[in-house]
Amino acid sequence: MGSQILQAQDRLFTEAETKDPSIVTRATSYGIGLANVFDNYLSPQSYHGWEVRLSRESVHATKWNPEKWSIQSYFQGYFDYTENRAENNNTMAGMANWNYGYYYKCWQQGGLQLYAGGVADLNGGFIYNLRNGNNPANMRVYVNMDASVRLLWKTHVKRFPLLVRYQVNVPLAGVMFAPHYGQSYFEIFTLGDSKGVVCMTTPFSQPSLRQMLSVDFNVKKTTLRLSYVCDLQQATANKVKSHLYSHVLMVGFVKHLKKL
Amino acid sequence: MKRHLIYIIIVLFAFSACVTEDDFVDSPMGNFEALWKIIDEHYCFLEYKQIDWDAIHSKYEPQVKATKNSKQLFEVLGNMLAELKDGHVNLYTIHDQARYWDWYQNYPRNYSEELVEKYLGQGYRIGAGMRYTILEDNIGYVYYGSFSSGAGNGGLSEMLDYMSLCDGLILDIRNNGGGDLTNADRIAARFTNERILVGYISHKTGKEHNDFSNPEPIYIDPYENIRWQKPVVVLTNRHTYSAANYFTSIMNEFPNVTLLGDQTGGGSGMPFSSELPNGWGVRFSACPIFNAQKQHIEFGVAPDVWVNLEDADKFQGIDTLIEAARQLMRGKLFIQTVCK
Repeated sequence: MGSQILQAQDRLFTEAETKDPSIVTRATSYGIGLANVFDNYLSPQSYHGWEVRLSRESVHATKWNPEKWSIQSYFQGYFDYTENRAENNNTMAGMANWNYGYYYKCWQQGGLQLYAGGVADLNGGFIYNLRNGNNPANMRVYVNMDASVRLLWKTHVKRFPLLVRYQVNVPLAGVMFAPHYGQSYFEIFTLGDSKGVVCMTTPFSQPSLRQMLSVDFNVKKTTLRLSYVCDLQQATANKVKSHLYSHVLMVGFVKHLKKL
Repeated sequence: MKRHLIYIIIVLFAFSACVTEDDFVDSPMGNFEALWKIIDEHYCFLEYKQIDWDAIHSKYEPQVKATKNSKQLFEVLGNMLAELKDGHVNLYTIHDQARYWDWYQNYPRNYSEELVEKYLGQGYRIGAGMRYTILEDNIGYVYYGSFSSGAGNGGLSEMLDYMSLCDGLILDIRNNGGGDLTNADRIAARFTNERILVGYISHKTGKEHNDFSNPEPIYIDPYENIRWQKPVVVLTNRHTYSAANYFTSIMNEFPNVTLLGDQTGGGSGMPFSSELPNGWGVRFSACPIFNAQKQHIEFGVAPDVWVNLEDADKFQGIDTLIEAARQLMRGKLFIQTVCK
């Protein structure tokens, strides 16, 4: 399936205005920010450092009800390099996350549009402690069903159009891989004792929040996106507590493509 | 509507209660409490060794309060950990490493590197992390000094093929301080023709001293290719520790294997790592491994044949244990034995 970049004069509000399911708003963003990593399977201390993040998002209207329903596919990958407070040890963490959600436009007034949706939220990655022996790393693999809210605001600053967007995803239920409290990966993977390492999660055991605030604007013929991502992933599973907190500033490029 | 949105956002933030670490300050008392808690909640032998960890807290708290600098704190915390009598328990700093090594230092060494090299000669082979040769009486001799040395299947097949015409095999794991358990499993798979239950492993499921999972059986499946079919003597001493202790326990279940030498040093708790607020590393036994009879092997595995390295033999360039193994395999063992 091919695509071509739309040549419309004012492309900025495409995401908020188009009812053509063949038109896709696609944004690729690159960011850097701060990370806070904690996993008490590896250490009782939290680690602080920096993060680099890449995201790629596609949004388009559905074929069956393009006026009300839209689809968002949002992939992001990020890498954290963090240090303990004594500054004598480090962890590395790498995560990939893919969200695929359906959104319903439930309210519109003036330039404001409110969408609510359900999102399949897939996550996979690792946290690696550079100093540990038999517990050097912990896998982070989990799948959630999220509730999501997206607010779009078409506005102008003087003559310049801006598309401001706030989105928040909250996991409602899911499954997560987690070793038992003191279980070794040798026991799980070499000996095959994997009983109970995949557990159900709820908002109480996995009180996480993924938020993004972004502003799209045109610079000549290019649409740019500045965004702030506040990604607070945390869980208690099999009595293993962990969190990955990220605060990332991102710069991206937005294209509006027409599927051929 | 905007007001509702604000409420929703506030509720979402409130919903995200923090999952975060225990808040210990980086002070002598903070580090002491953090270390005490790590052991209290994660160390796997407190009940088995009948250690009153609360009493240990009371004993060392005043000592910690009296410390004047980090080196004094390190000494006190090291002494506290030594109460566990566990070679897998350490405290790591840049200036020293607290350890408990009585499990081998208080016993005869029964090992001489010089003698091992004499038996190996100059033309020995190196492969699968091992050094090996064929002795003049057609007994294969293998020295394996660390289970951290990768024992790959290709190298093991080469070694066993080289020794295929030997009448027996001496597998010397004296002074082997352990390493990777998967190497132990891989080597052991060469010495059985059927699936054998060799032990159990458990893990802590919670903070309480008795929170353990049901022991999970450990089986050794025979390697599908070259396997050893003739007698094997495994040489052990008190410095045969950790993964080597585990390997000894496995080999003890095989019918054509004889353990000879001294009791192994033990170390059956798979160690995990942690750390203190000041960055000092901590290692501790986390997952107990049992033998096939579900008995602890934390304090070692006794040999089938007890043999000590005699000074008189050593003086003459003779390794008493290797010679005893050779005699045993030739059915000429006259050494006084003490069974387990």
